[in-house]
Amino acid sequence: MHNEPMRDWKKIARANGFSMPEAALERIAAPLDALEADFRPLARELPPEVGPAVIFHADTEDAA
Amino acid sequence: MTLLEAAARLRRRDISSVELTAAALEHVERLNPSTNAMQLVMAESAREAAKQADAELARGEGRGPLHGIPIALKDLFFTKGVRTTAGSKLFENHVPDHDATVVEWLRRGGAVIAGKTGMHELAYGITSSNPHFGAVRNPWDRDRIPGGSSGGSAAAVSAGMVAMAMGSDTGGSIRLPAAYCGVVGLKPTYGRVSRYGAMPLAFSLDHMGPFTRSVRDAGAVLNVIAGYDARDEASCRRAVENYVPDPEPSILGLRIGMPENFYFDRLDPEVDAAVGAAFRHAESMGAQIVPLRVPDIGAMNTVARLILMAEASAALEPHLEHRDLFGPDVLALLDQGRLLSATDYVNAQRLRRGMQREFARLWPRIDCLFTPTTPIVAPLIGETTVAIAGENEDVRLASTRLLRAINLLGLPAISIPCGVGERQATKNDGLSHATGLPIGLQIIGRPFDEALILRVAQALHPAEVAVPKL
Repeated sequence: MHNEPMRDWKKIARANGFSMPEAALERIAAPLDALEADFRPLARELPPEVGPAVIFHADTEDAA
Repeated sequence: MTLLEAAARLRRRDISSVELTAAALEHVERLNPSTNAMQLVMAESAREAAKQADAELARGEGRGPLHGIPIALKDLFFTKGVRTTAGSKLFENHVPDHDATVVEWLRRGGAVIAGKTGMHELAYGITSSNPHFGAVRNPWDRDRIPGGSSGGSAAAVSAGMVAMAMGSDTGGSIRLPAAYCGVVGLKPTYGRVSRYGAMPLAFSLDHMGPFTRSVRDAGAVLNVIAGYDARDEASCRRAVENYVPDPEPSILGLRIGMPENFYFDRLDPEVDAAVGAAFRHAESMGAQIVPLRVPDIGAMNTVARLILMAEASAALEPHLEHRDLFGPDVLALLDQGRLLSATDYVNAQRLRRGMQREFARLWPRIDCLFTPTTPIVAPLIGETTVAIAGENEDVRLASTRLLRAINLLGLPAISIPCGVGERQATKNDGLSHATGLPIGLQIIGRPFDEALILRVAQALHPAEVAVPKL
């Protein structure tokens, strides 16, 4: 898991149907590379018991 | 003139709302060509509202300090029957059939809406150089950005067009332009002010708040716009209080946190000096300065950026088939957000929970935290990188570096002017310019402790903000 390769954002973009010139793809991929490099180590350290900060309330009164 | 001063003059009948509104509209007409702060001027309806306000005041039917005061709204607040674009070509002809809650409550308080202000496209950026409606320019130096995304609101208040303008803040979009334009900008706690009827950018990060020319004015506006709104699922039922601080409040014994890490790591020396002076000023008034280490703010910024990108792309995905209607910088951000995985988003929201708990451990030791609002003064229009302490940094990342984490945490924060740099501002149009640019101090408080940060802000900055030479 810790050695999982970084994602190839250009491939992901193409797989998602983004048809654009290489330079435009680069404009999308480069910031995502940087974000992933910062984010992945944080996500790895998440304790399993921590839930997301966005919680669904079954009772609409509680939700309000 | 501040909002509360204008309100007092209205009550004394020294001036009428019609006169105040005429002066505001004249100011807009004179200064808007060079600042582009106001995207839509609502002259006719403002004059009508002012007449009505004067009639009500004459009958003794006062509605509070905003009654008869001309104000402006960032152009993402829905206004019934009046075009609301969010700075986007997508919504060029969008005329809402209802008011945003904030607008409804401001109207109920008697405010006179003079216009809608320019902003960064879809509130997704910090320059307010809008590809569809033109660049908003900083009143202190028209070659520089006012900051964003609420750049027009900050510029309109700084230039004295109106005493108050509403903005929104998803990653710093109130505090940042407040600092760059030398005005007061308040981001209340998440849930304190309704988001209903404000075009969303990121559901869990969007906050609504005012720009004003004094701290007490910000409190007066919060008194009107704070409160529970059933139409906003994030709205909080917690009771509101009086947010207007005393004119000369005491901060004796108050514990002010001084971060030893992150916030002072890489600053323009002028910003460093001005914020250092603010600490000394607070100490001279009897506050206790508490040096402390803060949790990993850089990590919080990363998590906040990921949440912003995912939520913004989700909100705007229905419109992405009209790619030609977006500016290139916003389109690239929206494309990036579409590629993030659901797992990334959920994990970001899980990390957020842990970060919230970690940051909350500071509060038993301090009452509020002082930081610079931005590490730099307002950059030039078109500048994409800035050199700070010998390192080149992206303008957007640098401008939001000290702000974004506070949206993730949902904490209340205010930016007040704390000095003017001494460097000569650029001249470009033959008009007189200021000899320096404003610097902002950010004061961060506990959740729902707006009253305390406003008290501290008032103690430090009891006067009206400085006026740029226009």
